[in-house]
Amino acid sequence: MFSFDPYSPAVDADPFPFYKTLRDEYPCFWSKEANMWVLSRYADIVTALNDWQTFSSARGNLMTELPNRAGATLGTTDPPRHDRLRGLVQHAFMKRNLESLVEPIRAIAKETAAPLADLRQFDFIEDFSSKFTVRVLFAALGLPLGDEAQVREKAVLMVQSDAATRQKGPEHIAAYNWMQEYAAKVIAERRANPQNDLISHFSMAEIDGDRLDEREVLLTTTTLIMAGIESLGGFMAMFALNMADHADARRQCVANPALLVDAVEESLRFNTSAQRFRRCLTRDHTLHGQTMREGDFVCLAYGSGNRDERQFANPDVYDITRKPKGHLGFGGSVHACLGTTIARISVKAAMEAFHEVVPDYRRVQEQLPWMPSSTFRSPLRLELARI
Amino acid sequence: MVMVSFVEPGGAEQQIDVPEGWSLMQGAMSNGVEGIEGECGGSCACATCHCYVDDAWLEKLPAAAENELAMLENVVAERRPNSRLACQIKAGAALDGLRVELPEAQS
Repeated sequence: MFSFDPYSPAVDADPFPFYKTLRDEYPCFWSKEANMWVLSRYADIVTALNDWQTFSSARGNLMTELPNRAGATLGTTDPPRHDRLRGLVQHAFMKRNLESLVEPIRAIAKETAAPLADLRQFDFIEDFSSKFTVRVLFAALGLPLGDEAQVREKAVLMVQSDAATRQKGPEHIAAYNWMQEYAAKVIAERRANPQNDLISHFSMAEIDGDRLDEREVLLTTTTLIMAGIESLGGFMAMFALNMADHADARRQCVANPALLVDAVEESLRFNTSAQRFRRCLTRDHTLHGQTMREGDFVCLAYGSGNRDERQFANPDVYDITRKPKGHLGFGGSVHACLGTTIARISVKAAMEAFHEVVPDYRRVQEQLPWMPSSTFRSPLRLELARI
Repeated sequence: MVMVSFVEPGGAEQQIDVPEGWSLMQGAMSNGVEGIEGECGGSCACATCHCYVDDAWLEKLPAAAENELAMLENVVAERRPNSRLACQIKAGAALDGLRVELPEAQS
């Protein structure tokens, strides 16, 4: 009897064989372990993303939601509230408004990569990507320096879940609470001394004359910090893993860094870190002969849609010439990732600088330690050795 | 399915069956239309799915909402009275046969 348990370490390590069975045999599958439906085909996921009136985000979007978060963030509200909330922050994330960050990000990348020159073997995450992402986020949000290591540690912990209990464990909730307290301190500081940065604007913004409520300010800021550090770092680790495993692609990108742009898109398709998000049905809905009921949760398995042979030819082949337009690596439609541009700029800058210092390398670990998470997928350590 | 014609800047025309409820941007992207970039993924945040809607169809479309009008100020090609963002137009039976032209540049 087939089962799909997004809390299982086997799914953390390699969800793709499960996804194939889901797409081919159970395209609308009830996972009793997750207590929700699972949609795995590209077309079904895109349709659900568009139909937010039926597939609502208002009861949370993380597979294992954090307490008291649903309804107070961009990812956990529906239009029109969502659109107004997003309107307040999105101008800061638009390409033209990020141009001024390109050079600082490149400088951070070079500085972070420089110490690797002395190492024959290292952990890509501890020694490079975690240091890089936290500094980029602090620069982008204008956060005061000093707490970077702790902020990163908590951001990574709060997205995890406990495989045995299928819930957030006390350590995950403690990390989430720590992050909220940290965000509250930053908000209070910015209100006292407003600056021309995102958090200052956001913490004092009004929507149609209504001030945002305190929970929205706090949890949206908390989520931006979590996403900026954990999601960006998780994807960077997946990208480095793909580069380490595919020597031809790596050597092409080292010889011609412009190719990194296409390689990043292919990695977003091939193994996005944002594997699964969820929605909640606002009405009964029938798909592939199954009737899902109002109030049921539905998992949208982006990582599976990205490997759907109905959409992408030879989906299990990593091919940097593919240009996989329309991939689901950032989700899609109204809730598509806010940080697409800064993520693309950052990953390219980081890997360009990394390749200047470490031009050829291989993976050391045969088995990777995967993060226990029902939503995201990335290794906790990625040891690389120079060739 | 809703048949939509996308005319690339060079004049090449592609007819695509867009599933009902999908945006024109998603229909174009998932079928490899070159002239649409859709960088933000459809959240009306980048203005890289700019298109010119054939005049005959313009009045059949729901009017652009405030966020689309604001984002249209960011298109890099000429903005015309029939400029729209393809991510904000949802395919429905009333749009079967719609024809849109794509600008010279999106970014």
